[in-house]
Amino acid sequence: MAYMSDDDYDYLFKVVLIGDSGVGKSNLLSRFTKNEFSLESKSTIGVEFAARSIQVSEKIVKAQIWDTAGQERYRAITSAYYRGAVGALVIYDVTRNATFENLERWLKELRDHTDSNAVIMLVGNKADLRHLRVVSTEDGKALAERENTFFMETSALESMNVDHAFTEVLTEIFHVVSRKALVAGDAVAVLPKGQTISVSMEDEVSALKKKVGCC
Amino acid sequence: MTPSGGPCLTLLVAGDRPRMHVVVSHRPADRRSFDAKVKTNTAQCLPIDSIPSLTGDRRVPVRDCGGGEGCVESMVVCGWSERSIGCGGGSWGTTAVGSSRWHVGVAVAVTAMAGIALAATFVVSSRRGSLKSPWSRRKRKRVLSHRYWNCLFTPEGKLRDGGFKFLKKVRSGGIDPSIRSEVWPFLLGVYDLNSSALERIAVKAQKRKEYENLRLRCCMLANHSYQGNSLLTIDEIFNEVIPQCNEEPESPRSCEDDTSRFSLFMEGCHGDRPLYDKTPDSASCNLEEGDDEEDKTGIYHVDTLQVETDSSDSESSVEELLGVAEPDHKLTNSGSLAHDTSIRTVEDFTTWQRIIRLDAIRANAEWVIYSPSQAAVSEEVANQSAEAVQLKDYSHLEPCMIYHAARLVAVLEAYAVYDPEIGYCQGMSDLLSPILTVMDEDHEAFWCFVGFMRKARHNFRLDEVGIRRQLAIVSRIIRSKDAQFYGHLEKLQAEDCFFVYRMVVVLFRRELTFEQTVCLWEVMWADQAAIRAGIGRSAWGRIRLRAPPTDDLLLYAIAACVLQRRKLIIERYSSMDEIMRECNSMAGQLDVWKLLDDAHDLIVTLHDKI
Repeated sequence: MAYMSDDDYDYLFKVVLIGDSGVGKSNLLSRFTKNEFSLESKSTIGVEFAARSIQVSEKIVKAQIWDTAGQERYRAITSAYYRGAVGALVIYDVTRNATFENLERWLKELRDHTDSNAVIMLVGNKADLRHLRVVSTEDGKALAERENTFFMETSALESMNVDHAFTEVLTEIFHVVSRKALVAGDAVAVLPKGQTISVSMEDEVSALKKKVGCC
Repeated sequence: MTPSGGPCLTLLVAGDRPRMHVVVSHRPADRRSFDAKVKTNTAQCLPIDSIPSLTGDRRVPVRDCGGGEGCVESMVVCGWSERSIGCGGGSWGTTAVGSSRWHVGVAVAVTAMAGIALAATFVVSSRRGSLKSPWSRRKRKRVLSHRYWNCLFTPEGKLRDGGFKFLKKVRSGGIDPSIRSEVWPFLLGVYDLNSSALERIAVKAQKRKEYENLRLRCCMLANHSYQGNSLLTIDEIFNEVIPQCNEEPESPRSCEDDTSRFSLFMEGCHGDRPLYDKTPDSASCNLEEGDDEEDKTGIYHVDTLQVETDSSDSESSVEELLGVAEPDHKLTNSGSLAHDTSIRTVEDFTTWQRIIRLDAIRANAEWVIYSPSQAAVSEEVANQSAEAVQLKDYSHLEPCMIYHAARLVAVLEAYAVYDPEIGYCQGMSDLLSPILTVMDEDHEAFWCFVGFMRKARHNFRLDEVGIRRQLAIVSRIIRSKDAQFYGHLEKLQAEDCFFVYRMVVVLFRRELTFEQTVCLWEVMWADQAAIRAGIGRSAWGRIRLRAPPTDDLLLYAIAACVLQRRKLIIERYSSMDEIMRECNSMAGQLDVWKLLDDAHDLIVTLHDKI
């Protein structure tokens, strides 16, 4: 997948990364946007973001990915940035059961703050640490099915499934948006500043149509 | 002025990072002069720290092209040059001096030239027009040198004028790195500015004991927190092990929040889950994994707490921590945060312990060159210190990084016990790391950190009151200074200044190099110390730096930093996200003394309005 220039895109999607501290959110982001990984990556304070464009069905989709702090303390500021997100990767660490158990709470919080159409994927990271794994793939899949989300296991360190996970989420968002655009009869892009858009849960079509804009 | 016979340093810095030209001049005692010209394309390459005049122990006269002139201890030259080369300055400090990552060498050619030993030139050019010579408008101030520092004391070891000259010096120029460990305890309120040498010895011994007691409490918590079979206070456990330590220490000259006294109770909940878990949404408390979770019945009860707060909310804060009574009533009053109260939970000591370790082992290595003794720690000592705090997953680290991580854990845990209202919040390790680097002893580092956190702790409050207040002040400063720019921010719905969130929380630590950060903090601490000591505005009116000391210097610096980019933001950015990206990618692009100059200008014109 080629890395494309920043300003050349047809669609802009806001995606958030959430999950407990230390599950590897920042490294998944840097692996996807810069192909970098660091064991010394510092804790995220508040929110940070990076972008990368990919091609989906001959359209260029730019993903603006918001990386959030995992600690409870930062929840108020990070949740403010969920608004306007059309996709989310909810990440846990396959070597720490507690991060998996917390997924339901993360999902609840996400659903409280985002459009019901948002595409969500559960991501079990650090899959390279095979000898330390405590959360099985089956458990991950089962939860994803229960919660009606996508599922993927990744390793930011080994670069395993990282592009795949993001691409799948972006492609799905693209399909959702395209379907809605077809219905609405309008070209759709998604504003980066989602907070300004009031999304009505009852009227999904108009919600998406409202997001028409250029960035 | 340049003392005769002293070596002379000339730095000629042009262009971007890789194209810096450094000229070093020596003037030996026999008055024959040597001029060492350093150019990237000539002579042999050597790392910057091998240039004698940059690493030696002699005083080096320096002069900039703007006429500013001063004499600094040569060690400071590194820091000083770093801050003086504008846009590339930060990176230069980190790369050429700091790490080999960029493999920036400095080529030195020595040519004998008589008679122009005083010539010292700075030519600074950068991509950002706003970052010219840092002393373009104001004469560069000298650092607090070792000799000057010693002269400030009476024979009894008291600061002569209640610390006025000392603080004045630090606010305008920072501190010579070689005496930081001596000076910081004064700056951070560990020692009273009016204390005598004898009093300080007593305070130090007392504080050491208090720290050791806190560490013991941490160990108790680690070993007993999940046994929870009976109602047992930490103090009781403490007594069982070492009864003599339970006497409340009487600190002869304790700083204002030393009065913080509390007991942590561990209370068995009759086989039930701990009280924490009875909060509406308790998942965050269950971060411990595996079998531990099943046994977790401990509750930490904050008995009394008298930590300095900016309002009389200590009691409610205790309740928040416990997750009992009516939690978060302040949150519901704070408007936009109200909707989030349902998802908030309290964090417990176990959570803090886990996150502290997580952050400790991923601390970066930037500090290493600033503390050769800690950098050279043996593998054995490093592993011992790691075991002492039950550090895990550190096998990939160098001994010095293991040692640093273990120290981070020890001090941060002790702080979490000392100030349970704050506990541990990510970002605090960023603030502690430079202090550990300067202070070799954990107990000294701890009390300096306590002094630092006296103000900084508000950044980490669970209710976000502190951070929101500060963002509001940054916003007000910008509005008062530049209505047009503020209007642009309003248009982008960015007038709340959330884009500087990180700068506020970790006080520029992520944007500046180690040396730059420490310089900024020293100036900020000097302001805070002046206010604590009651040195009023009139006293500062006489001196050249007219800006009175303020508790909010950092916020003015942040506003200055944003205002330096006003043109870029107005012309090119059309959303808050873009401003945030700009603010989050300033690392290596800031000139700390230019920032302070601008901040002081803002203070002079605005401090009555803000």
